[in-house]
Amino acid sequence: MRALAALFAILALSLPSATGAGGNFTVFAAASLTDVFPKIDSSPRYSFAGSDQLALQIRQGAPADVYAAASPRHPQLLYHDGLVSKPITFATNKLIVIVPRSNPAGIDSVYDLRRSGVKVVIGDRGVPIGLYTRQLLDALGITDGVMRNVVSQETDVKGIVSKVALGEADAGFVYITDAKPVASRVRRIQLPDWAQPSIRYQIAIVSSTPRKVGARAFIRKVTSKRGRTLLRRAGFGVPKKR
Amino acid sequence: MFVAASAAIAFTFLLLPLAAIFLRVPVLDLIEQLGNDVARDALLVSLKTSAIAHAAVLLVGTPTAYLLARRRFRGRSLVVTLTEIPLVLPPAVAGIGLLAAFGRFGLLGDELNALGIQIGFTQLAVILAVAFVESPFYLRGAIAAFEAVDDNLIFAARTLGAGPWRVFLRVAVPLAAGGLGAASALALARGLGEFGATIIFAGSLQGVTQTLPLAIYAELDTDFDVALAISALFVVVGAAILIGLKAFTWARFDSTSPSRLAPSTSR
Repeated sequence: MRALAALFAILALSLPSATGAGGNFTVFAAASLTDVFPKIDSSPRYSFAGSDQLALQIRQGAPADVYAAASPRHPQLLYHDGLVSKPITFATNKLIVIVPRSNPAGIDSVYDLRRSGVKVVIGDRGVPIGLYTRQLLDALGITDGVMRNVVSQETDVKGIVSKVALGEADAGFVYITDAKPVASRVRRIQLPDWAQPSIRYQIAIVSSTPRKVGARAFIRKVTSKRGRTLLRRAGFGVPKKR
Repeated sequence: MFVAASAAIAFTFLLLPLAAIFLRVPVLDLIEQLGNDVARDALLVSLKTSAIAHAAVLLVGTPTAYLLARRRFRGRSLVVTLTEIPLVLPPAVAGIGLLAAFGRFGLLGDELNALGIQIGFTQLAVILAVAFVESPFYLRGAIAAFEAVDDNLIFAARTLGAGPWRVFLRVAVPLAAGGLGAASALALARGLGEFGATIIFAGSLQGVTQTLPLAIYAELDTDFDVALAISALFVVVGAAILIGLKAFTWARFDSTSPSRLAPSTSR
């Protein structure tokens, strides 16, 4: 047992990424920020994944300095448990339906997704995209009709995008920002504004970080004029200037 | 001394994560999780798809391995190597490959559509993914097992008038049974744990395509305790299958290995 502990100590010391102290400035961010965050600031080390997984990792003591999530849920939970600073909203997003370019099921509006035999892919109820999709369907009043056609509940947005982009599914609910990189392979079906859930991205400083100054500077960059412009260019909305 | 220390490190390293799961899940909770819808559905989907995929692999793989082990022909080693390629592929590549071949817009998409067969998002997709990733494990072990069968026994059976099919069934398979059983157990375990190819090719829907590994991944986002409990369930099911198969193989056939729980695949 002691030999094993010693082995891990050696491994941990020789691999810089395995230890937090003295390592790089690290940002944990929602997968949907993968393209835009490095454009805003290329210097930090990024870890992009589902907001929920990142929150879980922060709870387990992962060496993150800043946490940016695709919903307020986990930042607020972490904040109330004293693990991050008070989260602020830095971006907003919208839902959209994507269908394969060839549109095999002939979808013209979200209401067509109730037709029997249409293969719909949505997010699992545990991830923000899945929760937002359920809220939207509820607001539209078509939950039963659409949920009957769901053939897969994916654990992240990439799973939904790829299944539609490859033509395996007839339609999928994703963030408007996710439709951009696959624009040549999919067609977009707009959703009514009145049914859109409020999708807010929140960012916070991890309480245990020894690099508070750097963390504050990073958040300032994200909320700066340049940061807001880059976010908008990527398809995000931005909150009113405080 | 060094050897003993290495063995101790290897043993501890392999078992510590498994023990840690059980230290965090009391046995009673584990039993209670069997009543959890997600866990029960995932267990049923996993057992059903694995059983069908494994039966298909044994049925097709055993004669194939026999042929590759006994026949000498040009390009034999190339063929053997090709069947082993899935071993070195990341499962994600397997999933993309299966989509490219059997997907709606894949290579065989038009033919399958014409027959009214759509594989994506069905249990058939899970079965194909499992069979694809586990079959090389079985083939490798089975080829080695058949190669280890004494040629003289095969020739003797042939001179005594047994046809090739009879020789295969009554002589070669029983003689290679120890190695075949070990290869079968390893392949089955690999199939049960299959994740990447399944989530890409079959998607994830509770009660249809969501296998145990997929359920663990989905529950990580919802409830860490449930994910932990399903993981523990997985360890129990996996261990039971492995031990059961090995015990069966050992009880029914003589193994050439001195270790009863690890029958060798070759002499």
